[in-house]
Formats: sequence, C-alpha cells, structure tokens
Amino acid sequence: MELLLSSLGIYLVGTLTILWPKRLELAAHYAGMLCAIVASGMVAWSALSYLTNPVSAWLIEWHWGDYYLLGDTWSAAFLLLAGIAGVFISIYALDYGKGYLGERIRALSGLWNLFILSIVAVLISGDAFTFILSWEIMALVSFLLVNHESGKKDTVSAAYQYMVMTHIGTAAILVAFYLVGSHSASFGFADMSHNDLTGMMKNIAFVFAFAGFALKSGLMPLHIWLPNAHPAAPSHVSALMSGVMLKVALYGFGRFAFQFIGMDTFWYGLVVMLVGLISAFLGVLYATMESDMKRILAYSSVENMGIIFAAFGCGMVLMSLQLLPLAIVAFTAALVHAFSHSLMKGLMFMSAGAVMHATGSKNIEKMGGLAKKMPYTAIFTLIGAMALSSLPFTSGLVGEWMVLQSFITFAQQAGTPELRLLVIFAFILLGMTGATALGCFVRLYGVAFLGRARTSIVDKAHEQPAFMLMGMGIAAGLVVFMGICPDPVVNIMQRVIAGPAVPPMGSPFGIIWGGSGQYAIYSPAIILGLVAVTGLFLTVSLSRKGRFVQRDVTWNCGTEPTSRQQYTATGFSKPLRRAFTAILNPKRRTEYLRKEHSYFGRKMEVHLEIPDLFNDKLYKPVVTWMINSSSAFRRVQQGSVSLYIGYTMVAMIVVLIWGVLL
Amino acid sequence: MEYLVVFLVLVVFLQTRVTDLKRAVICLASQSLIIAVACFALGFSTSTGLHAIMPGLLTLVVKVIFIPGAILRLVGKLKNEREILSESNVNYSTMAAALFLVMGYAIVERLLPGFAGRDIVAASILMIMTGLSLMVLRKRAIIQMAGLITLENGIYLLGLLMTDGLPLVVELGVFLDVLIAVVVLVILTSRMRLSFMTTDTSVMKKLKG
Repeated sequence: MELLLSSLGIYLVGTLTILWPKRLELAAHYAGMLCAIVASGMVAWSALSYLTNPVSAWLIEWHWGDYYLLGDTWSAAFLLLAGIAGVFISIYALDYGKGYLGERIRALSGLWNLFILSIVAVLISGDAFTFILSWEIMALVSFLLVNHESGKKDTVSAAYQYMVMTHIGTAAILVAFYLVGSHSASFGFADMSHNDLTGMMKNIAFVFAFAGFALKSGLMPLHIWLPNAHPAAPSHVSALMSGVMLKVALYGFGRFAFQFIGMDTFWYGLVVMLVGLISAFLGVLYATMESDMKRILAYSSVENMGIIFAAFGCGMVLMSLQLLPLAIVAFTAALVHAFSHSLMKGLMFMSAGAVMHATGSKNIEKMGGLAKKMPYTAIFTLIGAMALSSLPFTSGLVGEWMVLQSFITFAQQAGTPELRLLVIFAFILLGMTGATALGCFVRLYGVAFLGRARTSIVDKAHEQPAFMLMGMGIAAGLVVFMGICPDPVVNIMQRVIAGPAVPPMGSPFGIIWGGSGQYAIYSPAIILGLVAVTGLFLTVSLSRKGRFVQRDVTWNCGTEPTSRQQYTATGFSKPLRRAFTAILNPKRRTEYLRKEHSYFGRKMEVHLEIPDLFNDKLYKPVVTWMINSSSAFRRVQQGSVSLYIGYTMVAMIVVLIWGVLL
Repeated sequence: MEYLVVFLVLVVFLQTRVTDLKRAVICLASQSLIIAVACFALGFSTSTGLHAIMPGLLTLVVKVIFIPGAILRLVGKLKNEREILSESNVNYSTMAAALFLVMGYAIVERLLPGFAGRDIVAASILMIMTGLSLMVLRKRAIIQMAGLITLENGIYLLGLLMTDGLPLVVELGVFLDVLIAVVVLVILTSRMRLSFMTTDTSVMKKLKG
C-alpha cells in the first residue's frame, strides 16, 4: 500500500517537469521519463506481490471523508498490466521523445506522468466521484497528448473528435453511476454493490454503462475516434492509449458488471458478446484495408477489444445460466487476452513509431525491405505481428485459445437450438477474425519489412537508438515468455476471477478442454517438441541429398524484376475487398492522365477509398440532422436582447393563461 | 389603497405614451413613490417597528431618489444626442397595456376568487407585463431601463402583498440587486453614448460578428 501511494507521489513529481526552465528541456524529459519508469515499476511490483502473495485483504485502502481509494484483485490485475506497459513504453520514450526537442517536450513528459497517474487513479478509486474525476483527468490529458503535434490540421481535428466522443462516453457513464448510486446508501463502491436497482432502471443503467465503456474501448459502432486519434498521437502515447487505456474501460465495465449490475439477466451478456464479436470481425476487416501503419494497428485494437468483450460477454451469459466453472474460464480468457494485448499492441505501436522515426512516413506502400536496414526492429515487429495473428509461441495465442475453448464449451452446454446456432455463428466469426488477422499482419510485415525498397525514404532508414530498442525488446521478450510458459499468467488471472479458494485449474499440458476438470492452456511444450522433431527430421532427410544451392534472380519473363512489380499492400487485400464488397463498399475512381491509345501510352491514377460503414450510415446522418436542426434554431436566435426578453414575456403570458384556463 | 392603485395604473399608462426621456424618468420616480406609499401603508397595517418602515424607506431612497437621480444626470448629458426616429409604436404599447390590465383581472378572478387585494394584484401584473413590453419594444436604453424598474416594482408589489412583508434579508437583497443592476446599466449607457453618439440600442446590432 505504501509502495503504491508513493508511486502516485513519484508520478506527481514527474508531472512537475512541465514547470522546468526551457534551457533544461532535455534534462526535464529524462527526469520525467525516469519518474514514470520507476513509478510504473513500483505499481507493477506492488500489484504482482499482492496477487501472488496477498498479505492484506486490500491492495490499498485509504479514505478521506467520503472519498475512497480501494484496490481489490480486479484492480490489481489491471494495475499489473498498466505498470508493466508503463515501464517498457517509458523506456522506449526516453529516446523516442527526444524527437520532440524544442516542441514542448517538457509538457509531453509531464503530461505523460499525469496520464499514467490518472490511469492508476481510475484503477484504485473506491467511489463514484473519485472514479469519474480520475476518468475525466485521463480523458483530458490523453486529449492533450493526442493534440501534441497541434500544428497539423489532421491532428487537431482527430483530437477534437476524440474529445467529443470521449465526453459522450463520460456522460453515459455518469448516468449509469447516478442511477446505481441513487439506489444505494452512498456513492462508495462498497455501498453501490448493495443497490436495489431493479427492472427498467437497471436495464437503462446497464445500457448506459456498456455504451460508455464500449466507447472508450473502441467497440463498434462507437470506435470512430480510435483510428483517427492513434495516428495523430505521438507513438508512445498511442502505445499507452491502445495498450492500457482501452483496458481501463474493460476494468470499469467489469466493475459495473461484477459488482453493481450483476449478471442474472441473460440478454446483458448476449449484447456484450454480440457487439464484441461484430467489432472483432469488422475491426480486422478494416485493418486489412488500411495502408497507414498506425491505422492498421488502431483497427486491430478494435478487433482485440472485440475479442476480449466477446469472451467477457460469454462469461456473463454463462453466469446467467448458472455455469460458474465455465464462466470462470471465459472471464480468465478475457483477462489473459487483455494482458497479452497490452504487451503486443504496446510493442507494435512502438515499432510503428520506430519505422516512422526511421523513414518519416506511416504509409506502408512507400516502404519495403526495411528488415535489412533495421534488423532488430524487424525482429521485434515480427514477434509482435506473430502475436497479433495469434501464432504459437507468442502470448497472442494463449488468450485467444482460451476464448475459443470457452466458446466451444458454451456450445456444448447451450440448452436451446437457437442458442447453439448463435454460438456456432460466434465461432465462425471468431475463426474468420483469426484468419483475417493473420492475413493482415502478414501483409503489414511483408510489405513494410520484406521485399525491395519501394521509394527512396527507405534508403535513409537506420537502426534505432538503444533505449527504443530496449523498450521494444522488453515487450517482445515478455510476449515470447508468456507464449512459451503461459501458466503463471493464466493462474494469476484465474485467481483474480475465482479468488484464492479455487485452485489453479489451468493444465499446461492439455490441448483442448472438454468442459469439465482442468481446462487447457495451449501446451507450448508439446508443440515446441513437435516442431523440434519435425525440424530435425526435415534437416536430416534434406541434408542427405547433398547441398543444392543456386542463387539467382526470380524468372520474370526475361526481364529484371523491379520493386514496382512487388505485391502491394492494396493488391494483397484485394481478394478480401472483393469478398466483402457488400460491407466495405469500396469507392474506386480511375483517372486517365494520358491516353494515346486504348492499349498503350496510357498513364492513369487509381483512387481507392474505403469509407467507414458506421461513419457513413450512422454518424453522418446524425450530424446532418443536427446541423439542419441548428439552423432552425438560428432563425429563433437572432442575437438581439430585446427579442430574447420578448421570448421570456411570451412564455410568461402563456404560463399565466395556461394557469388561468386550467 | 384603491386610490393608490388608480394612480399607479394611470402612471403606468402614461409611461407607455411618454417618449421624452426626462418625462419618462419623472414618471418612473412617481411610480416608485406610489409603491413607497403602498409599502408604508401595508407595513404599518401588518407589523410594527423597524420592519414596518424599512421597505418603504428603502424604496424611497433607492427607487425614488437615487435611481431616477442617476438616470436624470445621464439624461442631462444626452443633450447633444443625435436625433433619432420618434417612437412609432407608442399606440401599440398603450393598447398592449390595456390588454394586460384586462388579463390581470381575469387571472385574479380565476386564480384568487374573492381575494381582497385583487386590484393590487391586477396592477402588479400590469406593471410586470408593461415593463417587459417596454424593454422589448422600445429602442432607447433609458426607456428600457425604465421598463426594467417597472417590472421590478411590479414583482416587488406582488411579493409584498402575497407574503404580508418579506423577510428583511430578502428585501435588502432585492434592493441591492436592483441598485447594482441600474448602476451597471447607467455606466454602460454612458459608455454607449461615448462610443456610438446615441443610446439607441438597435445600433448595437453592428457589433454582431
């Protein structure tokens, strides 16, 4: 508890770098980032020691009047995640942030500390007021961080879009908290868990809470701020936002679902599950269409948050069906995947930052062959991409495999044929999501890092400074470590969900789970052994024939292959675009710059645009309607004070006459 | 009391017709004087001591002497004001005031049948409405100020009658409020005279972006 409180103090000290004199800019940056590293390490350490060996009932218990700081295991799981991500992203930022020298770098590192502080504060707040206050600070500080490069027009508009969206979310959360809090003894979480909210009001509270937290975690259709805000923000900020802030929304929703609303109603879980599944699939589909590296990652965050919420919803449904052991697995899966996503998405945003740092561009169509120029970054990115496509030996598979298993058992336990059909549909969606994610990251890695350089920006690319590599290296190491021995993490997360009384049920050697007894964590040992045996067999059998090596250029109808003949990112995603035309609705426009003959001497430009489905079908009509109705209000509002007094007068007369007539 | 109401209604009707600034202020002062007298009358009939004379005294000092005095000083400075169009809607104002009087009586009949002070209630509704209509329809800042004070007087009279004397703190608050509002308005109006050479509020529309 003391450790956690003093880490808050260190964050506050780090925030003070905003006030440092201008000539000590670089020192301020280093000091700020060091504070963030130390404090995040302390947060992670205190959460870990509480989770593995709890000496007291609460991680932190402190109150001032009616305001509480409380940390239970659910908070501790997220504190662990935030602390670890805070450490390696801050190490990365030591070097990455130097790119902002002379561009308000002091504000950047000061706000960075405040941002992590507000995240930690959200996770340990023990009453509605503290929660909302920290939540709002988190929203405002992340807005300022997204808006850091405020000289660019796109950045400003993305930041303001984020600001508006996140405040809509906060408003929804406020309504939910108010509804629950007004039906309980006080606004402390302990009292709010004994609320007597029933019927319609409970449904409304659930819908508002889910909408608010889903907006913050970027679930469709409330995701539109996410693919715009992430490219606009500095890379380490996007890493933290995507890796941690989105999970904080899961924390809040979990707190609501476990403590305040309860899971007795069947359709609550169903709604969460369906929204999650749809976000997962559509998110990865849009990710595959993008060519901006950070937008790909942002849409991939939508996908992964979708998977996490789908598992969480599955758990809620299982709870409402009274299938407690199965629900524990589903919730554990959500938590494990959240943890591994914070590692791998942090890693990928950092490597996107490294690529941007090296080439000055985010567009993967302009890259190619980066692996030769920056080998370490390439390896770390490969690990991250493998994890995000949930391949074996990375953390990505652990969570996703558990999610799939909980859906399988759900299908086995589903009582009615309708429910079973639904789960099969969910299964298909999850499968397509996984396959598309694999394609998406093969595309990202292949186009950017393999092949030949497409433009000259690759020529000046260089390997990154030590701290950036170190940050990425730690993240990549953790991803691989969790991929090879997942059981410690899984056991800790299960303990968070089920409490210390239930013994760890994860079996590190099981491959698949039948729905009873120990569930299977995918068994990396067996797969690793299998791979080793196959590899050994192949090597032995191939080496017997003698070495046959011939290095030559690929045959290309007698011409030398050039970099223009490589598979482009847009070309790679063409089959998917064709298959899902109905959803993606791509707009293609060809423009002839020169056309001497219908077969040769042509020069043309092809513009391809994929409009966001929800942007066109949901947001634009609403915005249009709002603008139209405001122009109606403009007619009433002429800016003349006499007119306004006149309105008051008319209102008074109407009220008086109404009073007389009644 | 009934005589006071007659005078009050007469003064209010006069106010809707006056276009000269000085006369408007004098009308306002006499209206406030009638209110002050009503205050004394009501005060002595319901309570004794300081509370009995306090509202009347305050009205006398603030609304009869101080505010009209300040406005009159301002009007004195407005001599070389640019000539503005004469108010064309004076007749409409008077007609509206007549309607308001009828409405006031109708409201009293319906809401408070058999109420002893029905004339006073009707008169105060007339004052509130006329004050509002002066603020809305007239363009010159001084007349609009007069409208505000009329509205204020109406509300005050109604409150006094309905509650048989407000608590002293509330009364002090109300007077302080009006006083400050008018001081600010007088300052703003003289600024406006300096900037625009007129107190016609319709020129303020130019300021709109």
